[in-house]
Amino acid sequence: MPSLFGPDLAALQADMARALLSGRYDGLAAAVQSGPITAEEALGVHRNTALHGLVNALRLDHPTVDALVGADFFDQAARAFIDAHPPTGAWLAGYGEAFADFLAGHGPAGELPYLADVARFDFALEQVGGAVSGLDGPALDLGAARLTLDGSLRLIALHYPAPAIRDAIREDEDRLADLDLRPCRHDLALWRLADGVGVRPIVPASAAFLAAVIAGQDPGDGLAEADLDALQSEVFAAPFVRLSLKT
Amino acid sequence: MSVHHFPRAFGLHAASSPASQRPIPAAAGIGLRLPHHAVVRDSRPAIPWLEVHPENYLTSALADELAAFADRYPISLHAVGLSLGSACGLDLEHLLRLRALERRIRPGLMSDHLSWSLATTNQGPLALPDLLPLPYTEEALTVVVANVDRAQGVLDRRLLIENPSTYLQFEASALSEAEFLAELVRATGCGVLLDINNIVVSALNQGLDPAYVLADYLAMIPPSAIGEIHLAGHAVRDLPGGRRIRIDDHGSRVGLEVWRLFETVAHVLGPRPTLIEWDTDIPELPILLGEAAVAQAILNTATWGQRHA
Repeated sequence: MPSLFGPDLAALQADMARALLSGRYDGLAAAVQSGPITAEEALGVHRNTALHGLVNALRLDHPTVDALVGADFFDQAARAFIDAHPPTGAWLAGYGEAFADFLAGHGPAGELPYLADVARFDFALEQVGGAVSGLDGPALDLGAARLTLDGSLRLIALHYPAPAIRDAIREDEDRLADLDLRPCRHDLALWRLADGVGVRPIVPASAAFLAAVIAGQDPGDGLAEADLDALQSEVFAAPFVRLSLKT
Repeated sequence: MSVHHFPRAFGLHAASSPASQRPIPAAAGIGLRLPHHAVVRDSRPAIPWLEVHPENYLTSALADELAAFADRYPISLHAVGLSLGSACGLDLEHLLRLRALERRIRPGLMSDHLSWSLATTNQGPLALPDLLPLPYTEEALTVVVANVDRAQGVLDRRLLIENPSTYLQFEASALSEAEFLAELVRATGCGVLLDINNIVVSALNQGLDPAYVLADYLAMIPPSAIGEIHLAGHAVRDLPGGRRIRIDDHGSRVGLEVWRLFETVAHVLGPRPTLIEWDTDIPELPILLGEAAVAQAILNTATWGQRHA
């Protein structure tokens, strides 16, 4: 995005944004008047405020991850994520989209192989919870009928039982020890209800079908005969789907 | 199927159609924050008006809640993310989100800060959740005028622009903050949100007398342009060499220096919409209401003084 207003202010702001994220202020000292507070001290206040805001935004979107790893570990992981994925927009609600994938490759999180999936589920719940309920989303023309998805529908594929982990953390942490945490694929559909978020497990064929509808692709490609039963029960009759006959 | 219920049980019935605009009275209101939603909803305290950060209400569920509060209280939207000082221009997507909320809530006042948070670098845009300071130069004035003009055009309403709390000054600054804001008012027709705590924080961090800085404000800015006043507490931290830094954390009661300057402002300007802001270490609601009661008492004195002058 080119500057519309000349190079000086744009350059100063670019330098300052980079310096605040990195904590290296050397290049800014000449631009700042000397006063009772040094440039480093003043810029340090802004860096702390910005980082606190970003870490807090990630924490709000990932409450189960925070509870599992503790505040110190979460802060450390979040700071590493911010370094790797600095924010690009003013609205922070969607900022943590890549946090789950980041955690999957974050060395210190290696002892908790399910952590990335817990982050993925946390984030999806928060995003769907913030969506508008009851709005129509993508649709599929079925000839005489039309299949319309709920606009808030979100699909995620997990390899660990993140919903059970989240429930245990929220209700009774001792239940964690009883959970079967061996890898096993879980496809989930999440959608907004009037007072919460609906979560329903679906088979991979249903997930592929719904993903194709959302992407505007032909969901019939690759669909096997055996998948039709699952579609009948999981998709066509699902509360996040509306089937209507054309008039 | 499982249902993950929202953590808070909201009994408010959201307004389905846009609220009618309710003007903000020249009285002491409070900043509404999430920890107080339930108690304000349930106890319906007699607060003249509420102010919120619209960026906290851009999701559907929270916008519903805010709409329900707007049915009962006059609401002011105090934005923190417009980045009116950005040389790269405004984030139009964000501006449109705020416009959608503004259309639904119909706030009595809408404001943001004389600051920036979005920059363009060689690696792409960078956005920092902070209110970053501007050099007070002709170039920066041109930038802010263009951005305020655009924001007011898209929102189709007048904005109030708040003086920021600052910890540094730029070598390039050629205007005082008050001169800069006065020029902005003249060029765009915007108003000013006078944050007295920010005047105290900035002045003391720069080794200036807050009363002197306030006098500059009252001399430079037309009284009719000052549409709202903010009051808040700030933290004081020790630095090496016996120095101190004031940090605008909105985490305590309004300080004595701020109350004294507020008395001056109230008597010079007369009653204006006045807000108690408290954003960190948020106390129980009665403490916040107690601070608002002090502010209201000062406003009442100002009213009496103006009537009997």
